[in-house]
Amino acid sequence: MTTAAISTTSTRRIHRPSVDAFLIPVLMAAPAMLTLAVWVYYPLLETAWLSFFEWNMMPGATKTFVGFENYERLLSLPEMPKATLNTIYYTLGLLPMTVALPLAVALLSQNLQGPWRNVYRAAIFLPMIMAPVVIAVIWRWLLNAEYGLINVILNSLGFGKVQFLNNPDTALWTILFMTGWKLVGFSTLVFAAAITQIDKSMTEAARMDGASEWRVAIDIVIPLISPSVLFIAMLTVLHGAQWSFAYINVLTKGGPLLATTNLFYLLYEYGFANFAVGWSAAAGMVLFLGFGAIAILCGRVLQRHAFHQG
Amino acid sequence: MTTMNTPLKRRSLIAAMAALTLMSQTTNTWSQPMPPLGNNKVTITFYNYNLASAGLGADATKELIREFMAANPGVTVEGVAVPSGDMTTRLQADLAAGRTPDLAQLVFNDLDHIVRNFGVQALQDIVPAADWKSHTEGMVPAGLELAAFGGKMYGLAFTFSTPVLWYNADLLKAAGLDANKPPSTWDEVKSAALAVKAKTGKEGFYGSFYTQFDWALQGLILSNGGRVLSKDRKRLMFGEPEAVKTIEMLRDMVDAGAHTTVSDTDAMDNMRNGRLAMVLTTSAYQRSLMSAAQGKFDLRATKMPAFAGKPAVPTNSGSGLFILSKDPLKQRAAWELMKFLTSKQGYTTITTKIGYLPLRLDIVKDPKYLGTWVAENPLIMPNIEQLSRLQPWESIPGNNYKQIQKIEVQAVNEAVFGKGNVAAIMQDAQKRAQALMPR
Repeated sequence: MTTAAISTTSTRRIHRPSVDAFLIPVLMAAPAMLTLAVWVYYPLLETAWLSFFEWNMMPGATKTFVGFENYERLLSLPEMPKATLNTIYYTLGLLPMTVALPLAVALLSQNLQGPWRNVYRAAIFLPMIMAPVVIAVIWRWLLNAEYGLINVILNSLGFGKVQFLNNPDTALWTILFMTGWKLVGFSTLVFAAAITQIDKSMTEAARMDGASEWRVAIDIVIPLISPSVLFIAMLTVLHGAQWSFAYINVLTKGGPLLATTNLFYLLYEYGFANFAVGWSAAAGMVLFLGFGAIAILCGRVLQRHAFHQG
Repeated sequence: MTTMNTPLKRRSLIAAMAALTLMSQTTNTWSQPMPPLGNNKVTITFYNYNLASAGLGADATKELIREFMAANPGVTVEGVAVPSGDMTTRLQADLAAGRTPDLAQLVFNDLDHIVRNFGVQALQDIVPAADWKSHTEGMVPAGLELAAFGGKMYGLAFTFSTPVLWYNADLLKAAGLDANKPPSTWDEVKSAALAVKAKTGKEGFYGSFYTQFDWALQGLILSNGGRVLSKDRKRLMFGEPEAVKTIEMLRDMVDAGAHTTVSDTDAMDNMRNGRLAMVLTTSAYQRSLMSAAQGKFDLRATKMPAFAGKPAVPTNSGSGLFILSKDPLKQRAAWELMKFLTSKQGYTTITTKIGYLPLRLDIVKDPKYLGTWVAENPLIMPNIEQLSRLQPWESIPGNNYKQIQKIEVQAVNEAVFGKGNVAAIMQDAQKRAQALMPR
């Protein structure tokens, strides 16, 4: 409190602490703010600006102002409705595999002990650390209609061959399954970690009161890990369609007949194939605004419905 | 002279002047000789797509580069593997970042874009005239023309092929067909494919018309009297009646079950595994198809089929070599490498070990080069025979050319494998793509 004592002696010094109070936090936050400004906000503004031009980034090439033409071209692509619908399928279709299944696995395996615990953990987590392109190529072999292992098995069971990736009716669900298969491990890990954080006295108290394991899970465990569940759900909604990108790019290129394309892939195809800066900047802005709106909505839901311990 | 001021006359005057300029450029002396290599040490970077794919001759390309460096100890070649589909994007990114490779293998459908934007050096501006003349002697003129644009030579055709119909002779025989008389028209392809399917349960035919590279599709449309791009390079034509009829032929094969509906990659896998009877695609698959067929089935090749009563028009796939360096010494090193790769010896390696066409027909019969190999591997012959009738793969003009290609390929996929009306799909695509052409 010495500064306060001194500051009473002169009016000039009265202002010192308030200047410091303003300046010091600003200085401390400056590195982070500067980084954000340089790496996030400046590129964002420049992207918005470039989305109104036709330019190919080549040295010496001129930027031509085209107004909203890039947006018009992108939004009037005839593939747009199909891609939007598919994006919804990708997003919602992933939820069972990123939320429901991992939740079940985490709950059922929470009391697993001994060496099986490690075996199970390795098995469930292995897909997570494999490169998506490698996974895609392996699945392509497994699913080949003529000699793929899965079709050989289906065939021997009398089901006949399924053109998983070449049939427009099954291709999207096949890609969705691959994407989800890779993510099960991650979600399970997050949920399992959340479960270990729960204060044991709560579940024990419930058990002593005669609650069944099912009631303990429904009434205590799940509400207490709801922030994690909602977090994973939000992550899925915001990024689900993106996570399929590698598989779409390697396996189907959006086909057959647009069956597996989504907004990200479509905009990548038209926007980024050629360093057409205007197209890609407009594509980036469309995604930013669309998913920004969804993110705000998700944030609200998270705030309102997450239930915290203690 | 007042009549000269009407727009039409003025335009024709400009056109005439432009034509004169072009003519004077083509007949121009090849100026500004590059310095000889001498004892200089020089390192050049070489973007190459064969290096990026084991199936497309990575080893043969490495071998060629090694041999070149052994013969030219002063030159170090840094080969950079870039997949063909990513080549222009990668190059564009690197050019924008100021990292220009010295020599690049570029796909011909980007030619318009490459010449206008990449600062490619016209060869007659940098290569000594006598050197050019002696090196290109004996090269197929139609092949040399592939890398010419607006009357200037910008590169040297390097690895390219024509559409070849690969077929599994065992499957044709099993279907009761004469494997020595493979289909030569599209009607015959259809009936052969249906016979294979009915008798063997295997798939009949696949054509490589549906990926981002439309070279074979352009040849198919040309074979039916149509075009993808008008001769003056201003108007897209893939929705015109001739092109539509071509695509209707493919659709008809799909609807009849003669044309497999799997993806390009799967079709090639199936061909290698003996589960598909015929594939129309690049001869660059020669090596990988041959090694897959070895001891398993009788792999053969024949010329591109024709539409009844019309000649088949083969187009080229593939790439040329283009010098991007502005440094005279590096240009010299790059030119020496280009010469080595397209020499009689270079083409012998490229043809035998990868399966591309030799741009020099005089080596085909020469036992010092391809003679013995061709006698043992007649698979290359249909490809060589088509070389004299070669029509260049047109590159789409303008900054939106990739988007235009995308629209074209997407429409063809939808028209062939979908259920909609072919003419309506192609016309709509043409209209949308035309709006993206340079105005």
